[in-house]
Amino acid sequence: MEDQLREKAKELLEGGEIKVVIGYGWNNRKTRITPVFITKAEDVDKLVFNALCVNNLSIYLTRKYKDIQAMGKPAIVAKGCDIKNIVVCISEGQVERDNVHIIGMTCSGVVYKQELWQGELKDNIMPSKCHNCDVRNPHITDSVIGDPVDFTPPEEPAGMLFDKIREFDSKPASDRWEFWNEHFTRCVKCYACRQVCTLCYCERCITDKNQPQWIETSAHPRGNMAWNLIRAQHLAGRCTQCGECERACPVNIPLNMVNSKLALTVKESFGYRAGYDTEEHPPMIVYKPEDEEDFIR
Amino acid sequence: MPRIGVFVCQCGNNISSTVDTAKVAEEMSKLPGVVLTEDYKFMCSSPGQDMLKETVAKNKLDGIVVAACSPHMHEKTFRKAVEKAGLNPYKCEIANIREQCSWVHHDTTKKIGTAKSIDLTRMVLERLKRNKNLTKISIPVNKRALVIGGGIAGIQAAIDIADGGRDVILVEKEPSIGGNMAKLSETFPTMDCSQCIMTPKMVEAELHDRIQLYTYSEVEKLDGYIGNFSVTIRKKARFVNEDLCTGCGDCWNKCPFKADSEFEHGLTKRKLIYTPFPQSVPNIPVIDKERCPKILKDKCGLCEKVCQPEAIDYTQEDEIVVEEVGAIVVATGYNLMDEARFAPYGYGKLKDVINGLQFERLASSSGPTGGEIQRPSDGKVPESIVFIQCVGSRDESKGVSYCSKICCMYTAKHTMLYKHKVHDGQAYVFYMDIRSGGKRYEEFTRRAIEQEGAMYLRGRVSRVYEKNGKLMVQGADTLSGSQVVIEADMVVLATALVSRQGADSLAQKLGIGYDKHKFYSEYHPKLKPVETITGGIFLAGSCVGPMDIPESVSMGSAAASKVQALFSADMLDREPITSKVREETCNACWDCVTACPYVAISKKEIKNRKGEVIRMVANVNDGLCTGCGTCIAACRSKTIDLAGYTDEQVYAALNAF
Repeated sequence: MEDQLREKAKELLEGGEIKVVIGYGWNNRKTRITPVFITKAEDVDKLVFNALCVNNLSIYLTRKYKDIQAMGKPAIVAKGCDIKNIVVCISEGQVERDNVHIIGMTCSGVVYKQELWQGELKDNIMPSKCHNCDVRNPHITDSVIGDPVDFTPPEEPAGMLFDKIREFDSKPASDRWEFWNEHFTRCVKCYACRQVCTLCYCERCITDKNQPQWIETSAHPRGNMAWNLIRAQHLAGRCTQCGECERACPVNIPLNMVNSKLALTVKESFGYRAGYDTEEHPPMIVYKPEDEEDFIR
Repeated sequence: MPRIGVFVCQCGNNISSTVDTAKVAEEMSKLPGVVLTEDYKFMCSSPGQDMLKETVAKNKLDGIVVAACSPHMHEKTFRKAVEKAGLNPYKCEIANIREQCSWVHHDTTKKIGTAKSIDLTRMVLERLKRNKNLTKISIPVNKRALVIGGGIAGIQAAIDIADGGRDVILVEKEPSIGGNMAKLSETFPTMDCSQCIMTPKMVEAELHDRIQLYTYSEVEKLDGYIGNFSVTIRKKARFVNEDLCTGCGDCWNKCPFKADSEFEHGLTKRKLIYTPFPQSVPNIPVIDKERCPKILKDKCGLCEKVCQPEAIDYTQEDEIVVEEVGAIVVATGYNLMDEARFAPYGYGKLKDVINGLQFERLASSSGPTGGEIQRPSDGKVPESIVFIQCVGSRDESKGVSYCSKICCMYTAKHTMLYKHKVHDGQAYVFYMDIRSGGKRYEEFTRRAIEQEGAMYLRGRVSRVYEKNGKLMVQGADTLSGSQVVIEADMVVLATALVSRQGADSLAQKLGIGYDKHKFYSEYHPKLKPVETITGGIFLAGSCVGPMDIPESVSMGSAAASKVQALFSADMLDREPITSKVREETCNACWDCVTACPYVAISKKEIKNRKGEVIRMVANVNDGLCTGCGTCIAACRSKTIDLAGYTDEQVYAALNAF
């Protein structure tokens, strides 16, 4: 699979149209997988792909990385789940479909955190997105690397995260409030969640707006709550539950839980899932005269 | 430091009975930036306005708050007043301490009302400090009008606008204009022949230099805004060349196939190439493409052979026309409720149970029987007819909650028409109440009952069934407290008037509101009865609700006068309360574009000096934007602001609480 990938990268770079291949590689000590940016055909051997490649590289396509954008047309090594983020970026005008070459990787799952790796990919070290993955054979690509994977996701979302959400939903509002209050109080406002998120591409984040300042910037419970809830709302109908925010959070706030709950709600209410259609915006943000809901007419 | 004046209105005792206005003024005078306060009895009175003007000018105020009634009532008044005093009108803000305070609090110690008024006024004051001078948006007006619907209301509106010297496009869905009124026999309460008064109007519309008819056409799409609409009209294929056709009738005389006539409500047949009725305007037939064998399977073609001017064209296709207009009158009329809902009355199953419009056709001298009342099953002249009122109307469980308004009158008319044509016939009417409000209406129903011998029974009919070739009508007579069964030869149902089929989808295309019955909503039911919430679109006739002919005609004329007023100026002022994009922070995610219900936001290219596109940003069209604020809620980076209601202003108001 890696040979195939390197071959493809080489072909693309030699072809001249692609200026950089964004992919995975080993760090210097060969202990962790880290993003690599290959600009020369002779460097393609640095590219690897394995179960440690959990990072969502699609962020490097956004305006947050103007230096990478300046390199020219990129090719990106992407798992099905990463492609969902690219798709949202395309639908929201952040990436032009013709301006990126998507190297789709067939995938049998990755580890939730690289530290958990002990030489074998077991169910209990995989994130819940892998348990419920319907894009192990990537859905929107320019080229596909790897053999087709035979996997049917469960009908109802399964895994620890969703069990937790279901259990949580049954609790009274006061308990739920208490739960989030406790978690958000610990937030240190480092904004790692925002920095790692492909879809937090705003030129100016609402939390940076100070005329007027809607969100208190100090790490005070009130401002923390406002920040985390507004970020969740800004992701509703857009988040693909890649889980990067939760992995990046230094104080382990279960951010993916709130994002996944919102995604479930959007699917239930509007039958919409983010990351499958390059033309669609989330239904809550689209005015259609033929909408069933008549409150806006 | 701002120089703000606060004027607290007592509104007689409307406000002062639960609010201590002097105290409100006093509290306001303590706030920074307030240089003067007034506590006044009636701010909206002429002396009040004069005082306001003088005070503003004398004290060189740069902003004022009027704590008074809702801005819906007098915002315009006060803004005009400060404008005359040399201040930007948008530097005048209203604190609503009447509808939102004094009227809802009944504490006569004035504690609650006063405290709340102070809060409300302070919030508005803080907002006002951040107000910017705004200038009205000026847009050109295209002085052509579109009228949708060629019934009496639409025709009246079209003629009135055209008579005022403006070009009008009249779009009608059916092959001929005329609408429901063209089907009626006589009209209440004067009993003049409907067609005799209708057809001259139709011809006038056809021949008017300034009216362009689009019959057999439908509005497909509407773009633009008040003064500058662009309408896409679908001219359905007639399969007849309108320029060549002379209306001689050879084609429909020769056509060997027949189908139920829509105009006659199925009482008779029409040909497959047809005009709906003899006085059709224009007198140009259409081919029924659902049924015509030539079009379906290329067989027959007789009409083409007999047509001397060679006007028949089987290859014709729907044509899409785009017209630019400045104002629109919607006059799409009504339908009768589908009687199939009333199975116990046997409509559709029993041939001699008909609806009111069918009876109109039977009584009409141009109708299928030449005006003789004959029952549809065997052509026999009925010896007795039972009229059932309120079929579907005032019946929340099976029909609609509202009164259809015209049925009491037309049923009385029907009994008279029947009596005049069948002298020894007996009419029975089952009614709930007789509602005959209107000039000479009550006298009309009394005449039907007292002089023309109609038997009125107060009660409802439970069922209609057939027995020995007669229709048995079983119902209650609540005045005598007994059950009655009446033997009749014919039953006429006064079915409810409902909104035109497809009224909702047209409303969505036009961007106007409608109620739960899909009747179109007026801007204000009393004070703006012909306006809609969308500027430049007006309403006429029974698309708003059940209406009789005089009302429809007056509403058509009223809508026309609104259009004339709109067309009287070359430029149109619009409120500058529109969305503004701060281009530096725009992400170009286009959520605002998809969210905008008015298609007011487009994508704009930002170019460098070499003319290369460096980025894209959202761009708001001031003409289209209504200031609804949807885009502002949608924008994640808070890049869009509403002029007059900026984030900063709203935040300041909230912070002042």
